[in-house]
Amino acid sequence: MALIELRDVTKAYRRDKIDIPVLDRLSITIEAGEFLGLMGPSGSGKSTLLNLLAGIDRPSRGSIRIGDTDISTLGESALAPWRSRHVGFIFQLYNLIPVLTAFENVELPLLLTNLSKKQRADHVMTALDIVGLRDRATHYPRQLSGGQEQRVAIARAIVTDPTLLLADEPTGDLDAKSAGEVLVLLQRLNQEFKKTIVMVTHDPHAAERASRVLHLEKGSLVEQVNS
Amino acid sequence: MKFVTLVLKSASRSKRRTALTMLSVAIAVFLWAALRAVLDGFDAVSAASSSTRIVTINATSMIFNMPVSYLEGIRNTPGVRDVTYANWFGGIYKDPKNFFGNFGVDAEGYLRLYPEIQLTPEEKKAWLEDRTGCIVGDGIAKHFGWKLGDKITLQVGIPIYGTQDYDFTVRGIYRAGSSAVDNQSMMFHWKYLDERAIEHGIGWFVAQVSDPDRAVQTAQAIDQKFANSPAETKTDTERAFSASFGKMLGNLDLLLGSVALAVVITTLFVAGNTMAMSVRERTTEIAVMRTLGFSKAMVFMIVVGEGLVTAMIGGVLGAVIARVTINGEFLHMTGGFIPAFGVSNLNAVVGLGLSALIGVLAALIPAVMATRLKIVDALRRVA
Repeated sequence: MALIELRDVTKAYRRDKIDIPVLDRLSITIEAGEFLGLMGPSGSGKSTLLNLLAGIDRPSRGSIRIGDTDISTLGESALAPWRSRHVGFIFQLYNLIPVLTAFENVELPLLLTNLSKKQRADHVMTALDIVGLRDRATHYPRQLSGGQEQRVAIARAIVTDPTLLLADEPTGDLDAKSAGEVLVLLQRLNQEFKKTIVMVTHDPHAAERASRVLHLEKGSLVEQVNS
Repeated sequence: MKFVTLVLKSASRSKRRTALTMLSVAIAVFLWAALRAVLDGFDAVSAASSSTRIVTINATSMIFNMPVSYLEGIRNTPGVRDVTYANWFGGIYKDPKNFFGNFGVDAEGYLRLYPEIQLTPEEKKAWLEDRTGCIVGDGIAKHFGWKLGDKITLQVGIPIYGTQDYDFTVRGIYRAGSSAVDNQSMMFHWKYLDERAIEHGIGWFVAQVSDPDRAVQTAQAIDQKFANSPAETKTDTERAFSASFGKMLGNLDLLLGSVALAVVITTLFVAGNTMAMSVRERTTEIAVMRTLGFSKAMVFMIVVGEGLVTAMIGGVLGAVIARVTINGEFLHMTGGFIPAFGVSNLNAVVGLGLSALIGVLAALIPAVMATRLKIVDALRRVA
């Protein structure tokens, strides 16, 4: 069953009165439970596509349907609560809040829900358990290694049990060992927890973990590889 | 409530910067409370002034004396029930910095017209019987450690009172029964002063009117009596007379109000700049929060909350310091011009409100900046 349907999505940025095309009439279907890798050279539109799926950017033309919602028609006031319910985002540079502990960072998206303090704590500890960092709950980001920070960021992304996990080069800032651990974790989230994942990567080894890889160039789909 | 930790932790991100911002707000609230205490002190004098007392001074200025003969003239004015008089001595106790009000007064008349000056019968008797005796307020007595029977020497401050030091014996320590009288002054016999004065005269007369509703007419009658004389008079109610002390220093409301406003505005800019810096440094974090689903309104409230918390902690600090330090101990510094001096609970609360206002206003522009942030642009800046 298709979870995501992009139809004729075009995205262009306007810089100094000049339209710069990034995505050109892109149509993609992503099934529920799929682990999709997005590859391509810099400027090919991978991250832009990810931002459109996350609802933090809007297409110039075309439609993006995720589940039952055409998010290309939603305004920012509707997109914010939609994001909190349906999207877990993993950044390349982890982007944890430095003044919050691992627990508090993971709890952040739950502050937007109606869960009680106790329920929030249970959810946070479950998420930290999944990423193997329960014992680091009280640690601040500066007290964690890069790999651990990214695992906390993954816990933050999954704590609300979102429909979709989006990862923007999640191993781009990690050493090989940590990158391997993060990829194993993502694969486990996909296979064990049936999470739909879209991952942008430059790394062919990372892309091997995906069930399907799309190659983008100059905003267009040029190749599709099924593993 | 669940956002409190986030707000507090965000506010304490740069501890030194936050502490300095809090301190600047604390100083602003402290200064505001101190200036308000001065203005309220003057207001309290006016409010507590008697409606049955009118004061006559030289129309040219109260620093010029009037002839002693005016005493009978005032006493005989219709509507005047009683009259007394006093001179500002301006004596110096050891050092000019030990400033306090000291007056030569018509002792019996003064105590009659000012029942707020509370002495025991023994103290009153002892003072009236001692030509060089004086009475001092319990505030100034405490400040200088004076006790009954102590000898006090004042140097002459105004040349018309001679060159020789004046020796006094403390015969009474009075309590002030209302804010119309301060407890920071010293009074002694006018005759003792007059004996040594090179120029004779009276500084001001205080008349008690029989009908408070006709106080203005009685005052006009006194002034008419001395019109076209070498020393024309200006008679007014005690309230107006008290206010004239303040006016000698200029338009206090405007002056002190302007200083307070300048301090508050400066603090507003300091706090606003700090908040703006804080938000600019957190562009990515705010973009991440928005990505997680925080709405623009939530981000706005969190930034304003930070400003509010930072400023209000400073406000509490400033209000507490002002409440504790600006009190009776400062009274002697006012030389008795402000009998009641201190930061009221109301002013402490208003000071806190002021700090809250500073916090909210300072955070407004940074908060709007945070909500206008384009998530994609902010994330791209670090990627």
